[in-house]
Amino acid sequence: MIRHHPDDSLLLAHAGSSLETGPALLVESHLEACSRCREIVRGFERVGGQLLESEAAQPLGQSALDAVLARLDAPIRVPPPPVVRRKPPLPAGYNWPRALRHCQVSRWRPMGPGMRWSRVTVPHDAQANVLLLRIGAGKCLPQHTHTGTELTQVLCGSFDDGRAVFGPGDFDEADPDILHQPVVQAQGECICLAAVDGRLVFDSWIARLASSVVGL
Amino acid sequence: MQAMDVAHTLQSKALSDAGGTRPSRPHLRLVVPTSPIDGAERGQLDDLMVAVATRHDREAFASLFKHFAPRLKGWLWKTGSPSEEAEELTQDAFVLLWRKATQFDPQRATVGAWLFTIARNLRVDRRRAVHDTWTTLDDTAVQGVADAGMGQEAELSQRQYDERVRAAMLRLTPDQRTLVQLSFYEDMSHSRIAAELKIPLGTVKTRLRSAASCLRNLLQECRP
Repeated sequence: MIRHHPDDSLLLAHAGSSLETGPALLVESHLEACSRCREIVRGFERVGGQLLESEAAQPLGQSALDAVLARLDAPIRVPPPPVVRRKPPLPAGYNWPRALRHCQVSRWRPMGPGMRWSRVTVPHDAQANVLLLRIGAGKCLPQHTHTGTELTQVLCGSFDDGRAVFGPGDFDEADPDILHQPVVQAQGECICLAAVDGRLVFDSWIARLASSVVGL
Repeated sequence: MQAMDVAHTLQSKALSDAGGTRPSRPHLRLVVPTSPIDGAERGQLDDLMVAVATRHDREAFASLFKHFAPRLKGWLWKTGSPSEEAEELTQDAFVLLWRKATQFDPQRATVGAWLFTIARNLRVDRRRAVHDTWTTLDDTAVQGVADAGMGQEAELSQRQYDERVRAAMLRLTPDQRTLVQLSFYEDMSHSRIAAELKIPLGTVKTRLRSAASCLRNLLQECRP
């Protein structure tokens, strides 16, 4: 059962397609798993429809309707989809979110004992800072805060960061004022998708060194 | 200064157009749904859509186009698409509306909301240089098939729902309404909203959260 959801303002911005790349991927991944949030988004889309209906008209080109009518039953030529790159395997029973289908996911790289990470490259936005964290059972991330917002969607496993327990499908938004140390629960490893706006700031110098190597 | 006043001030602050071939775009302009489509007209629009879905009725399609296409182009342009792109996206959205007509479910969306999601997804595709919307409509946005035999009761409750959604928007404070509307603008990051409205970033986030949650609660109350 999903207990932690994106804030309504994120869902509203998703409905209006005004989210930046990283947050958009995270919210889309959450929506795939969460019917409650899909329903809320549908309500916001209805508002979008009403804004559209009360919009001031702007004339189209003279032959616009004819051009559209001529295309209605013509064959659609859609360029072949970009090559779907292979992604590293997830534990049995888990699939990559569809939202990542155009993204490249690097192999798992070590970043500490029992901790691995992977870079998610978004083809249309090289600046997007999206990554995957894979932390072993019982392990914890070094205590850290952020210079910007950190969004997390749990893909499998669960962690407790002192504020709450986050399980599969849960979504978290950590602001710069939150100093937390996520601890993965003992039952199994945890894989999270994260979008970081700004940098993570670790407390210890070893973690800072590791993060500078990783590029967090 | 109230956000509402700022939005009105910005209405006159037009962006200059480099090519000079299209009218300048009001940077931020407040839309208050002051001229709602009345219930009867809404019903007619939905009937037109059902005619398109069930009978491939081209006349009904042309009527929908004449009603919605100029509004859709105006909306796309105002919320971030250059004029030429707004025209192309509008035409593409209507080709898709025809192609995917059987997926329209009047119990889940109005024609306006459905067209809005199609156009929005097309614009997202363009930014991402993909063509997902052509191969499949966003299945988180619209699911189901047209039901021409929808009972009067369900139809009525949908119309009432829509009226209540409109009323819900009017129950927001003017500031909240402005922030909700800004969420439909492309590239309108929180820091940009803060700069435009001259309020601190933290305040923008807090107010956006409160506006969105207020709207969600109002929408939940009015669901049929």
